[in-house]
Amino acid sequence: MTPSIDRRTFVRGGAAFAIAALTPVPASAKDQLVVATFPGTWNEVHREILAPYFQKKTNADVTQTIMLATDQVAKLAATRGQPPFDVAILDEGPTLDAVKQGVLEKYPAAKSAHFNELGPPFRNEWGPAISMQAIGLAYNPKKVKTAPRSWDDLWNPAYKGRVGLTALNSSLGMAFIVELARLKGGSESNLEPGFLALRTLLPNVGAISANLGAHSALIQQEQVDVAVHNFNFIETLKGKGVEVDWVKPETGAPAWRTNLHIVKGAQRPDLAFEYIEGHITPEVQAAMAKPPHFVIPTNRKVVLSGAIVDKVARTPDELTKLVFHDWTKINEVRAAAIERFNREIKL
Amino acid sequence: MPARSDGEWRLALPVAAFFALFFVAPLGVLFVVSLFAEPTMQTLALRQYTRFLGDRLHLGILVDTLVLGVKATLVCLLLGYPLAWVIARARPRVQSLLVFVVILPLLTSVVVRTFAWIVILGRQGILNKTLLAVGLIDEPVRLLFTEPGVVMVLAQVQLPLMILPLLTTFQRIDPHLADASAALGAGQWRTFARVIAPLSLPGVAAGCVLVYAACVTAFVTQTLIGGARLVWVPLFMYQQATGANDWPFAAAISIVFMFAVLFVVVLINAAGRGRRALVHG
Repeated sequence: MTPSIDRRTFVRGGAAFAIAALTPVPASAKDQLVVATFPGTWNEVHREILAPYFQKKTNADVTQTIMLATDQVAKLAATRGQPPFDVAILDEGPTLDAVKQGVLEKYPAAKSAHFNELGPPFRNEWGPAISMQAIGLAYNPKKVKTAPRSWDDLWNPAYKGRVGLTALNSSLGMAFIVELARLKGGSESNLEPGFLALRTLLPNVGAISANLGAHSALIQQEQVDVAVHNFNFIETLKGKGVEVDWVKPETGAPAWRTNLHIVKGAQRPDLAFEYIEGHITPEVQAAMAKPPHFVIPTNRKVVLSGAIVDKVARTPDELTKLVFHDWTKINEVRAAAIERFNREIKL
Repeated sequence: MPARSDGEWRLALPVAAFFALFFVAPLGVLFVVSLFAEPTMQTLALRQYTRFLGDRLHLGILVDTLVLGVKATLVCLLLGYPLAWVIARARPRVQSLLVFVVILPLLTSVVVRTFAWIVILGRQGILNKTLLAVGLIDEPVRLLFTEPGVVMVLAQVQLPLMILPLLTTFQRIDPHLADASAALGAGQWRTFARVIAPLSLPGVAAGCVLVYAACVTAFVTQTLIGGARLVWVPLFMYQQATGANDWPFAAAISIVFMFAVLFVVVLINAAGRGRRALVHG
């Protein structure tokens, strides 16, 4: 007799299989936290320093997924109540958006052992600022003999076709255009002078990356020789042997706070809290501030050293005096700015 | 008819339910979202559609995207057609090896393949270094962040989608037809133009539809190779949805885009069918 499966069995079996394949697997009994992280330096320090610290402390696993801030806010808003991750990492602007969308939980600062060790500007009620990102001039020392000193140097005719910028979907891109506007007589709500300046810069612009991930590749592949970029990203690249250096512009480095948040509806708010606590301990922040990452600490107990002291700020107090923009105002003009960028900055 | 076949349509039920739940329903949601006048989604209006269709910049982006797809598809066809023919005529063992080589890129992630192209096309990339070394150019050519660069990469990345349907079609063409054509006095070119080419049209149409749809929506390749100065619809939609938080506008753009691409796909299909009717008529 040949083995056979009758139709009924086949259909039932097939249906059962399909249902099984489509049913979401419930989270395993093992404690599991899902968190968002940024590309580049962030992803590295979170994987190499924070994750081991967290695992040792809580005996739970953590999965880190790389997502830009704006993508996280969009995902949280789209999945309200069923968030795909428990901890969000957001820059100032997106944090304000997320608060407005109501997708964050207030940070239980009263329970925190380290919250009050942070500098006062870093104690956000929606989640502590775990670092600051400062932007300035990145350049390739092999190709550019005299280091640029100010934003105005970007207009140097010697840099024709060699300057790299990035689109406005990241805080980096947005902060740069706001800073240009500010220096040319505009403000957070009046970007007009910034756009006018940007247009005169176009002959020098060799490439505008569409996102941060591609922005570092511009420098690494020597597609451009001078670029607007983050302090840590460049220091990390430099540590890997890439020909690159970073300069704080004479007019100051525009900076913004980066916060960690417990997401509303998080499956494991307890673990999310522990994870964020880990990030603001002096121990973890000191490890992240070391070469090659140079993540700027926000906990005042961490002694500043290395490139952070040489290039950004000598004391925790100086850190609070970098150029901070008003992101509430920036958020109001962001949609219009992206639209205008597309319209005017095309080839 | 035996009673048994009456119920056969029910076999399609699972896939129909799957489509209804995971494709038609979300599309419906997308359409509803596109009908809101403002990002906060309070009043219903057609404002998003007039905003997209009534603006030359937006229409320009739409047309650029459709044209980008045509260019990449044509390059794919030019490269893929002869290759598929060679593979179809190869000895069985060589053939399976060649098919494997063609499919190989599909086994790597599109992100990885695209990043490899950044290394190749960059100012200090493999291509420029080679051309400089050979002395064909005096200074690096700009390839990354240009439209020709994007077309080149799209054509390579999507090539398997062109070759596979063509290969199937070529293999189905009866080799005796070519012999018959030769016996009747037609030369090789004439045989190709009158017999092989028309018979391969369904494969050409199938390949073109697949490649076209993949190229116009290739967000990763378009943004990584094209950068932010070359804006095509997928990047534009992404900016509106995440950067500007304007979901209704992004939804309206995607609905318009879907119909525009559908229109081109129908044209390609009609071209494939129309010519075939001529041959058989």
